[in-house]
Amino acid sequence: MGKVMLDVRELTTKYITRFGEDVYAVDHVSLAIEEGRSLGVAGESGCGKSTLALSLMGYYFPPLYYTSGDIIIDDNNISGMDPDEVRKSILGREIAYIPQAALNALNPTQKIIHFIEDVVRAHDPTATKQEIYDMAKGLFESLGLPAEVLQKYAVELSGGMKQRTVIAISVILKPQVLIADEPSSALDVTSQKMVIKMLRNLMDNGYIKAMIFITHELPLLYNVTDDIMVMYAGQIVEKAGAHDAVFDPLHPYSKGLMGSIIVPEEGLRDVKLAAIPGVPPNLKNPPSGCRFAARCKYVRPECRVYSVPLREIGNGRSYRCVISEEELRDIYAREAQENG
Amino acid sequence: MKGYRNYFMNKLAWFFVTLVAAFILNFILPRLMPGDPVAAIVSRLAQGMSNTTGVQAIYEQYAEQFGTNKPMLEQFFLYMKNIFRGDFGFSFSQYPRTVADVIKSSILWTIALQFPAIIVGWIIGNTLGALAAYRRGTFDKILMPVSIFVSNLPAFGMAIIMLVIFAVTFKWFPTSGGYGFDLIPNFSWRFIWSVIVHYQLPFWSIVLITIGGQAIGMRAMSIYELNADYVKYSRFLGIKDRKIVGYVFRNAMLPQITGLALSIGTMVGGALVAEIIFSYPGLGSTILTAVLGQDYPLISATTLIITLMVLTANFLLEIFYGILDPRIKAAQAD
Repeated sequence: MGKVMLDVRELTTKYITRFGEDVYAVDHVSLAIEEGRSLGVAGESGCGKSTLALSLMGYYFPPLYYTSGDIIIDDNNISGMDPDEVRKSILGREIAYIPQAALNALNPTQKIIHFIEDVVRAHDPTATKQEIYDMAKGLFESLGLPAEVLQKYAVELSGGMKQRTVIAISVILKPQVLIADEPSSALDVTSQKMVIKMLRNLMDNGYIKAMIFITHELPLLYNVTDDIMVMYAGQIVEKAGAHDAVFDPLHPYSKGLMGSIIVPEEGLRDVKLAAIPGVPPNLKNPPSGCRFAARCKYVRPECRVYSVPLREIGNGRSYRCVISEEELRDIYAREAQENG
Repeated sequence: MKGYRNYFMNKLAWFFVTLVAAFILNFILPRLMPGDPVAAIVSRLAQGMSNTTGVQAIYEQYAEQFGTNKPMLEQFFLYMKNIFRGDFGFSFSQYPRTVADVIKSSILWTIALQFPAIIVGWIIGNTLGALAAYRRGTFDKILMPVSIFVSNLPAFGMAIIMLVIFAVTFKWFPTSGGYGFDLIPNFSWRFIWSVIVHYQLPFWSIVLITIGGQAIGMRAMSIYELNADYVKYSRFLGIKDRKIVGYVFRNAMLPQITGLALSIGTMVGGALVAEIIFSYPGLGSTILTAVLGQDYPLISATTLIITLMVLTANFLLEIFYGILDPRIKAAQAD
């Protein structure tokens, strides 16, 4: 077992709306990533994926607030730290973020190199322009980006190039953990592939030691990450290795999610696509029982009364459902038979 | 750099096109007014004269001197030729003063009043708007309605309100003029003090109106920029708030620079009214007497000067804008 780079325990964060209501978008989430591993987070829109990404940074600003739990990065518990200290010594250095809308993540009136100067100087005020330039040039070239990009403005770059520039800027301070929030969802397939290759490159070359990759595109997760975590309504419903999560999902929600996509593998030609009816619950007043109960095909009376904790079933897998593993497998097998 | 040259050439071409159009309109419009200015002058001079041939002779002499007896097209070319030589001719209403002389004595008053007022109003307005966006809360809740109220007052309304309150009721400031009517312009302390006192009301009435409009625009732009993705991203890279606020306000400021150009434009229409109300000896008052006296050369010359000032200000600001905002150059380079 490798060293645990990011250890999150029972993290809960909430949004406070304009009307003073609490919305718990990340609800008692625990996860751990070892050195050299990557974790994918899947789920529909509004399931708390992006909020999880923001919450993991350990730095909160309205309307997002920290409620409870611990975030331990590289043996450092940052959840109790002074926000200014988090900003100075953790953000960008220990943990870095690639935003969802990376295409607008760059200041339109600033040259890339000047932004990089600001980033580096925020952590090391003594760095000279020349040092920063040499560092940035080295990084960009090793990531396959031309050094001329440094002298350009964001508007002068193509979408894919902008995205890759943002990724390069995010890792300029060699953070331990990288959190990528849908870094490729706005790109064409070719640029997507380049972005994925770049992220893999960062892992393989040791620029970053662990990565969390958030997306709603499951086939992408399967190709990129080692493990997959499925979120529903602010909670984790299933954690598994990438292959298991895609081809052998246990939780009815994961099952439904995987059934609603096409993974280009042999034998899937005639499989019918199934959608999960309904939408995720409103987190202002979540249901008291299982949060998925209202949409679950296999719902039982007790599901609406109480919810169960994540159940460990060995091999690093866990899921959150009252139905036992064997029973679920039976149900799925029967269903598969009925559908031919 | 090529992009910027294209941008520059484009703006320069438009500058000249607008200038030519304005030049023609400046000549034609005053001359389309009904009435004969020469007759007015002659009737003034010939008061008490009973000799009609004498009056007729005087009229013809003046018509010849002012060129009003020639066809319009010929007058236009003559006018153009003279303008290029820097000769604006005689003022009809203040004859025998030349137009150049009348303008010289009023333009400095206008520039000294309007430019500082607009610049001060612009700076204060933008600072307040930016602060309102950044601090929110009570400050914002008070500033916004006040700004909306003030910016929507017409220029003459603001001037009259200030006149009534500070000059008539409290008698803190004089009601009219650029300096005490009992003084002769010179560099004595008494005269300078008089100028400063007379300066206040017209100055602040322009500043207040400018503040309102600028604060509203800047607040909206700043709120928009504060929510931009690059702000969140910069925060998550550990950049300090002070630096990020710098990015935000620079970007929010860009449309406000256009606002500055526009308010220099409205200074012609709106703020000159303040001059008229306070009988300030600037271009505004000069235009008023010129229009009342059907003084074609003076009207054409003053409006030409104002057009030139507005066009130049717009041109310079656009050039400056092109340097500040790389997106503009990029768009022009295509």
